[in-house]
Amino acid sequence: MTTVMIQEARARVTVGIFTQMPDAAAATAPSRDSAEAALEFLAEMSPDLRGAAILGPEGEVLAATGEEPERWAEDAAALFAAADGAEGVPVEQVHIATEQGEVFAIRDAGLAAVSVTDRFALASLMLFDLRSALRRLAEEAR
Amino acid sequence: MPPKPHRILLDRVSVYADEAAAFMRRRRVARRPFARLYYPHGRSADHAQDSRSGAELFVAAGRLIEVAGNGQKG
Repeated sequence: MTTVMIQEARARVTVGIFTQMPDAAAATAPSRDSAEAALEFLAEMSPDLRGAAILGPEGEVLAATGEEPERWAEDAAALFAAADGAEGVPVEQVHIATEQGEVFAIRDAGLAAVSVTDRFALASLMLFDLRSALRRLAEEAR
Repeated sequence: MPPKPHRILLDRVSVYADEAAAFMRRRRVARRPFARLYYPHGRSADHAQDSRSGAELFVAAGRLIEVAGNGQKG
């Protein structure tokens, strides 16, 4: 009972913190150079990473691995649309594990990131790295 | 003669490591595909592959896996 109360209190405080953050209202998109640097850092940190993309506030690709940045934009938009449509509520994070690999997607600070990894990548670490990258980018853009 | 204290500690650590390795082996064998969505305030929801929403998520994920290819691994 006490634990539940503490969690409820923490949730209230956390909501307060997030409402103060420039989330959906990230006025300016970070530069493509910083996004590319963030992606390189991410690839260095995550040996399981096969590919990733960082998307701006309008869903445009700021940086992506490989030769097809437009496809990242389309497919990431399709993923977020499917995820939001599942319950009719915008999602914060997505983790899909398939036989062929794992897909992670996250929205934070008005930006979004999508990554594909080998199977059995550590989800908590991958999502933490993606979130940190987005927050750093949003701070730089301010 | 009682065993040296550091040996007890080392034995215990290797037992934990063996347990962890066994757990990971079972996880690799037993884990099935899943789609998990996380919402604000820490709520999460799983969507089965045979549900309508789950199927859409798996299709979208499949496309992204295709785009990523083998990535930087060459």
